[in-house]
Amino acid sequence: MTVPHLEARGISKHFGSLKALDDVSLEVAPGTFHALLGENGAGKSTIVKCLMGFYHADAGEIYIDGALTPIASPQEARHLGLGMVFQHFTLIPAMTVAENLVLARPGLPLVIDWKAETKQLEAFLDRAPFRVDLRARVDTLSAGQKQKIEILKELYLRTRLLILDEPTSVLTRDEADEVLGYIRGLVNEGKLSVLLITHKFREVMAYCDQVTLLRRGRFAGAGKTADLDPSRMAEMMMGEARVQNESMRPKAAPGPSVLRIEDLHARGDNGLEALHGVNLTVRAGEIVGIAGVSGNGQRELVEVIAGQRGADSGRIGVKGEDHRPTRAMLRKHQFYTLPEEPLKNAAVARMSVAENMAFGVFDEPPFQRWGFLLDRAAITQLGRDLIARFSVRPPLPDAPIGELSGGNVQRAILARELSNGQVRVLVAANPCFGLDFKAVDSIHELLVETRNQGAAVLLVSEDLDELLMLADRIVVMTGGAIVLETTPEDADPAAIGRHMAGHH
Amino acid sequence: MKKAEAVLVPLGAMVAGLLVFGLFCAALGVNPFLVYASIYKAGFGSWYSWQNTLVRASPLLLGALCTAIPARAGIIVIGNEGAIIVGGLGAIWAGLATPSLPPFLALTVMTFAAMLCGGLWIAAEVALQHYRGVSAVISGLLLNYLAIALMNQLIEGPLRDPSSFNSPASYPLAPSHRLGSFAGTHVHHGLIFGVAACLLAWFLIDRTTFGFAMKIGGGNVRAAQLAGLPVGRLVVIAGLLGGACAGIAGMVEVAAVHGRANESLNAGYGYSGILVAFLSRQNPLVIVLVSLLTGGLLASGGMLQRAHDLPDATIAVLQGILFLFILLSDTFYGRFNFTRTKTPEARAAHANAA
Amino acid sequence: MQTQPEGLGAWGIAVALAGGAMRGSIPYMFVSLGECLTEKSGKINLGMEGVLLMGAMTAFAVSDITGSPWLGVMAAAAVGMLLGALHAWLTQQPAVNDVAAGIAMIVFGSGLAFFFGKRFVAPMAPQLPLLDFGGWSRVPAIQSALRISPLFFVGIAAAFLLHWIFTRTSWGLKVRAAGDDTQAARALGINVNAVRFIAITIGGGLAAAGGAHLTLYFPGIWSEGISGGQGLMAVALVIFAKWSPRRCLAAALLFGGAQALGPSLQSLGVNGYYHLFNASPYLLTLGVMIATCTPHRRLAGMPGALGKK
Repeated sequence: MTVPHLEARGISKHFGSLKALDDVSLEVAPGTFHALLGENGAGKSTIVKCLMGFYHADAGEIYIDGALTPIASPQEARHLGLGMVFQHFTLIPAMTVAENLVLARPGLPLVIDWKAETKQLEAFLDRAPFRVDLRARVDTLSAGQKQKIEILKELYLRTRLLILDEPTSVLTRDEADEVLGYIRGLVNEGKLSVLLITHKFREVMAYCDQVTLLRRGRFAGAGKTADLDPSRMAEMMMGEARVQNESMRPKAAPGPSVLRIEDLHARGDNGLEALHGVNLTVRAGEIVGIAGVSGNGQRELVEVIAGQRGADSGRIGVKGEDHRPTRAMLRKHQFYTLPEEPLKNAAVARMSVAENMAFGVFDEPPFQRWGFLLDRAAITQLGRDLIARFSVRPPLPDAPIGELSGGNVQRAILARELSNGQVRVLVAANPCFGLDFKAVDSIHELLVETRNQGAAVLLVSEDLDELLMLADRIVVMTGGAIVLETTPEDADPAAIGRHMAGHH
Repeated sequence: MKKAEAVLVPLGAMVAGLLVFGLFCAALGVNPFLVYASIYKAGFGSWYSWQNTLVRASPLLLGALCTAIPARAGIIVIGNEGAIIVGGLGAIWAGLATPSLPPFLALTVMTFAAMLCGGLWIAAEVALQHYRGVSAVISGLLLNYLAIALMNQLIEGPLRDPSSFNSPASYPLAPSHRLGSFAGTHVHHGLIFGVAACLLAWFLIDRTTFGFAMKIGGGNVRAAQLAGLPVGRLVVIAGLLGGACAGIAGMVEVAAVHGRANESLNAGYGYSGILVAFLSRQNPLVIVLVSLLTGGLLASGGMLQRAHDLPDATIAVLQGILFLFILLSDTFYGRFNFTRTKTPEARAAHANAA
Repeated sequence: MQTQPEGLGAWGIAVALAGGAMRGSIPYMFVSLGECLTEKSGKINLGMEGVLLMGAMTAFAVSDITGSPWLGVMAAAAVGMLLGALHAWLTQQPAVNDVAAGIAMIVFGSGLAFFFGKRFVAPMAPQLPLLDFGGWSRVPAIQSALRISPLFFVGIAAAFLLHWIFTRTSWGLKVRAAGDDTQAARALGINVNAVRFIAITIGGGLAAAGGAHLTLYFPGIWSEGISGGQGLMAVALVIFAKWSPRRCLAAALLFGGAQALGPSLQSLGVNGYYHLFNASPYLLTLGVMIATCTPHRRLAGMPGALGKK
């Protein structure tokens, strides 16, 4: 099968009242490495899902090699030589690599001839640049290995136009270069076209020939990478030039150590140790950023701190005193936590916005009266106040919080955590994930303000750029332990990258 | 809107279920309208029928709370039957051990014994799920069978009254220890326990900070942990309270209805209680209404047999149909509300709002 | 259950227990295999108790009406598949709680079974032909202990067939994929809803076929107490067997043995605590659950999509 010429013209798609794509056009010539650039919510995932037959576009056409070709299902897309590697893995954890690869094969007969299939797989793997153990169960592999297998799977299925949706988000820089470099080689040999969804300019400049930009569901520009530079691309993506906010720098030097995590050990969901003795100190008036590829224990660390996971050994101390996630201690230590995916981890979807905002204070006056009665009017009033102060939309204190958009849920939870007067310790995990730029900026400002008022802030983020901008100190977490500490000024991306890759 | 929905949706499910039941009857060659008429007559047609209905409603009120209270704390309990039995056993033991106490004290002692036994029984199931991951549905049903075995063992063994010939039974309670009825009716005072328990349960869940904390734990354990709430303790207390209600139902069975512990302690009220709880969407105030309606349905079993030659399992079929409909109604809940965002999560969230 | 003369000796008791285990294991086998298939596809069916009862009643009724016990078994399987399909459809609706749906199925299934079974509370219907392995012995007790229902062998075959399906057929792989990671399975182009629907339906059919054993084997009557919670214990059994069909087989034999314990002891003259000995299967199940379950980690072998939507 030859590499197809793909053209999408005038694609529009809406979900309810949300217009995800508005008259977007895109062209991928055969044998090119094409980047699709845009911020969160720009519509990148939506358009490729239309190309892959997962969604049906409301308007617009798709042309393959010049012929009008409606793509109604993923099977049809695959038939045309299109393949996609998603952000979340499409490997089945409980099955082996071999079973996964075989299952992805179209035309699989009802009874599987394992001898023949295995021979075919081994023959294919001989020519591949990555080593994989066919008999390994997928849930024993690292994120990087899984990503490589995903790409191998597409090549095994003889995909000719490969769509990659943020493939390097779970890879270290070295691994990303390895993968993208290999693919670049295949493109150079004319065996493949690639459509790469990314928000990393570095990758676009290093590997891609062409780039198309999307902003808020609309076409925002296109061109050859040779003709564009990162700041021009940023402008096209964002719509206006972004000004680096210098007021991020703290006004005073950090104070004494407030939060101390000592030799923390804990196990993950699979029973294996996820935290191998984490040691960390955060001082008053500083933001410590934890950088690292997701899956190295960051989530488990925040869960232990938040009381959602038990620790096997180790100690968390606040101002020298042992800290346990009980209500009394949280109040005493003025300890606030903002976990990631707030609807899943910090809120009760079916309770109202006001009620959710009262989780921290409902058992204190004025919300508790006579020692056991709940004052519901007071809670509703609290909701109104916080909704106004933190601009939560829609401003309905009695609406179930599950009906709010992601950004507004995050705002509501932030309102809850940051509105109680003095904050001594704040732990936040990926607070800006999936939010639009305005929301991101306002949350960054809140974090900085909290730090400036003397709080010890621990910020876990998968976005190194965010940490470089906000943090006073950056530590890298790999394999469940802190392996490097540095400051934004001294940060050496190569060294950080190596430490993120760990000792694998 | 939410309050209206809380009553309309269960009623709608019951109506729809009755309609399908009518079709079922028609398919069997019985005129459904005559069946409806019989149900109405037997349940609500006369003062006598009303009394039957009230008598049937009182164990339902208490049995339903055994599911509803832990459900608000996040755990579905279906071991009501076992808790009723153990509660009854506790009550009879306490009653037989204190023959010389004056009536009021005797009743208090028996009630406490019943609450303790029933409460611990359900608390065990709930604790097993929370601390050990053992599904409360499975442990509940297993413990039901164990409770029946225990009951049989005791009333054929240590508690056995040698003068009871037909079926094994325990010694009878002293007449002063019996629970009386309202004057001029055969509705026993157990109804008071039921209604009071529902009111107290509603107050606890909706108006106290303890209830609020319980709802958080029941809504999202992680959010509760984040807020520093002692989820395990909340859940176990909910189990104790629910089990205590079921225990009281057992006590009422023993003290008001039979005067002794025998086989009929295992009467299936527990399972109907589960249905009532689900029909009421775990809301104690709605339980009062639904218990009444369900009591009426249950009271009509005999009439259906006499008038239409339908076996008493017919009511069981009706209960099954109602159960299926209340489940399906979850998908309709929230459609009457006018909200701006209609994401699937929001729909589901709204559907589960209580 | 069988009665044995005293003085049988240890060997005889062992044989009797073995026979009892083989007999008692049959409902557990079928229901656990059916539940195993259901859960491997990612859904739980707690309503198996109702399915079991309907299967038992249907088998008895059809056998009584047609005179053929095998037709009874097949009819039971058909009814089980209908109930399975109902459960599959129900749990696919948005916002329907799987646990509550299972409870509803127990109530509905047992209600229907008791209703239709009313006219069949009568003496025996034609029984399944037994296979006689006890011909070599002259002791009547051993002979009767070794008369085994053919369903025992059907069950064993089903276990191995299911294992083969899971590892060597594309449909089996799809079931495992749908049950382990719904999102990934959809991305692979698997129609998760269709796969689950078929799996749950067949699972119901298997469970109901196991119910046939309850009424088409000695003592061969239908009554409302014919099942003592075996439908639900089989769910626990699947967890204990780590969702492996062949392990389900072994666990079913174990549970069948526990069930045979009470009657065996009674026939040996141990008469005290009769009820509690008969409750040993429940105690065993409870013990097994407490020992294997853990709230924090995923249980070994558990399909990833169980419990999620």
